Amino acid sequence: MSSFVIAAIAMLTALIPLGVVLCRAELMSAVVAYEAIGSVTILVLMLLAEGFRRPGEFELAVLLAVLLLGGGLVFVRFLERWR
Amino acid sequence: MARAVIVDVLLGLAVAVVLAGTAGVLLMRDAYQKVHYVTPISVVAPVLVGLAILVQSGWTISSGQSWLAVAVMVIASPLLAHATIRAIWIREDSGAGRDLARAGQGGERQDRESQDRERL
Repeated sequence: MSSFVIAAIAMLTALIPLGVVLCRAELMSAVVAYEAIGSVTILVLMLLAEGFRRPGEFELAVLLAVLLLGGGLVFVRFLERWR
Repeated sequence: MARAVIVDVLLGLAVAVVLAGTAGVLLMRDAYQKVHYVTPISVVAPVLVGLAILVQSGWTISSGQSWLAVAVMVIASPLLAHATIRAIWIREDSGAGRDLARAGQGGERQDRESQDRERL
């Protein structure tokens, strides 16, 4: 098991407390946790692609990074208007 | 050997940054404070991971794509943080109302200034 896979597993453990915040905190704190989860997921995808030596899977990380920006902006834009 | 050590150090730093940011998001009281701890996760940690991939495999298609993802994250994160804080402000502090009130005060001030000019 390479150090990239170990780092990916260590980062995946960070999703547990972020998931707790996502489920239990108030709405805007949950949005912040959602953004953090998206960033950690991108990092995990990059680490796994390098750890398993599959260059094609880096495209998933690039795609998710772009979608995180677009989706996040749409999300917060609607939340600031809808109460 | 030295390359492996550098990669391990960079990955360890990235994991430490992510775990510290996660602790901040978990422990801080309100959303304003939590947003500050997302930024290291989405700006510092990707750069460290990108450097680790670059050291491991050199300038290849893998490192190029990883740096593309890093660039998107580094550019997107401040924009998203700003939009999130703005949404929190409008939801919790009625930011739109404050903007309108400020615009009204500014308009009144301009009216007063124009009246003073006319008197002179």
